[in-house]
Amino acid sequence: MIHLQSVSMVYPDGTQALSGVDLHIERGEFAFGTGHSGSGKSTLLGLIYRDIVPTAGKVIVDGQDVAKLPPQRVPYLRRKVGIVFQDFRLLPQKTVWENVGFALDVVGASRREKYRKVPISLELVGLADKAEAFPHQLSAGEQQRVSIARALVKGPPILLADEPTGNLDPVASWDIIQLLRSICGQNTTVVVATHDREIVNRSKCRVIELVQGVIVRDDKQGGRYDAP
Amino acid sequence: MRLNTIEFLLHEGWEAAVRNGLVTLAAISNIAVALLILGGLVLAGVNLEHMAALQTQKAVIIVELANDADKNAVEQALWDDPRVEDVRFVDKEQAFKQMMAKLGLDVLEKDPDLLGVNVLPDSFHVKPSDPQDIEAVAQESEAIEGVAMARWAKQVTDKLLTLARGIRISGIVMGIVLGMAMLMIVSTTIRLTIYARRQEIRIMQLVGATGWFIRVPFVIEGVLDGLAGGALAAALLLPMYSYCEQYVAQNLQFVDLIYSTQALVLFGLAVVLCGVLFGAAGSLMSLHRYLRRA
Ligand SMILES: Nc1ncnc2c1ncn2[C@@H]1O[C@H](COP(=O)(O)OP(=O)(O)OP(=O)(O)O)[C@@H](O)[C@H]1O
Ligand SMILES: [Mg+2]
Repeated sequence: MIHLQSVSMVYPDGTQALSGVDLHIERGEFAFGTGHSGSGKSTLLGLIYRDIVPTAGKVIVDGQDVAKLPPQRVPYLRRKVGIVFQDFRLLPQKTVWENVGFALDVVGASRREKYRKVPISLELVGLADKAEAFPHQLSAGEQQRVSIARALVKGPPILLADEPTGNLDPVASWDIIQLLRSICGQNTTVVVATHDREIVNRSKCRVIELVQGVIVRDDKQGGRYDAP
Repeated sequence: MRLNTIEFLLHEGWEAAVRNGLVTLAAISNIAVALLILGGLVLAGVNLEHMAALQTQKAVIIVELANDADKNAVEQALWDDPRVEDVRFVDKEQAFKQMMAKLGLDVLEKDPDLLGVNVLPDSFHVKPSDPQDIEAVAQESEAIEGVAMARWAKQVTDKLLTLARGIRISGIVMGIVLGMAMLMIVSTTIRLTIYARRQEIRIMQLVGATGWFIRVPFVIEGVLDGLAGGALAAALLLPMYSYCEQYVAQNLQFVDLIYSTQALVLFGLAVVLCGVLFGAAGSLMSLHRYLRRA
């Protein structure tokens, strides 16, 4: 599903964010990307949803070389990739329902499709009863659930989450991670970038650890993340 | 396209225009003023050219005969020119009466003896089929044996044409300046919207909205601004012009403004269309500059 072959990323200002990264994540897999702040986790995810293109090597997502994708095809790649951020990125003037529906509106979905899919997605994250609430009326954990519902509503084969628990307390964090884990496997590949050691260790999932842009460890079964 | 999509795009564009409130009002009134000035110039220019054309068409060459001229020979010579459409003899008495009438003097009725002081010569009124030839025909007829001089209303026509040309040039210059101003104001308005909605745009990009899909609401906003500005300009311009036309018709006998309801309606639509085009162009300009990233 996601293949990186000797990928390096050097930002225009000369910062070497990733060097020689080889990584293969199969369909339906769940993986944590961990490492210190600045180790290149967000850069790795950015390459997968083609926010950035690698300066060397190949990034292949769902069989497509993202660097070869013409700009007008990028939106279609993004439709296959749901993205969740630490800061939720909800639209404050729209309700929960509208925020989730927005992801369908902007890809030209029909009203019927919207009315069918939004409730399913909200149900999945356990927020069916908050559909008419505005983001500011929700707890941080609930807001993150809305953003997950929005990422999932198109049924993407890939879900990326960049520090999804960064703004949450441990209990809410654990809930979110459980939710993300429940999503993977149903034909959805999930990659979560986090430096929350507690969560990674409790989860016993695949752990990819980055240090200064290099993969130092890729533990397929129940890896631990012991770095400070 | 799906109904939901159309509704979404229109709603986003409309909401942006409303949310921009005062800025939208400023943009609309700027567009309206610019189109008002431009439209006024176009109307003035078209009318002046129309008047000049009428003058030229009406214009005849007055070929004055020498005292000892052979009237028939001159007439024959005039007809010999293939560019001549009509030749009409006007004797000195007729010419004098016409002149007095034109000047609005009724002295002749009071004192017919005055005809005795008439110094006007006999003449032919020559009309070329193409007004463009007037000067050439006049020069050639002056060369005919027995012709004292040939004259025509050169100055009036020339003045009108010069004025029309002046208006056209200043219209073009103003058009460029005001057009740029319109583009600037619309693109500034749209830039504000882009700024206000950058979060929304980013989310749209992330969830896979295509470039045009992100652009359309902004173009709609620009078009709405242009539409309102154009409609306002047309709503002011057309009644103003009708009033002018009526005023001129009642107070200035020798001028006639063009008046046709159909033409005016078309002109009004053109003004509105102009506003719409400038609105669309302005927002596209802004989008091009501030929305580069895919
Ligand atoms: N747009 C950018 N331009 C230049 N340098 C960048 C840019 N984005 C990231 N970097 C640099 O690349 C390196 C990796 O950054 P990245 O954001 O991928 O780290 P991270 O692991 O996500 O960190 P954090 O845990 O703090 O989010 C850092 O040194 C960072 O300063
Ligand atoms: Mg990061």
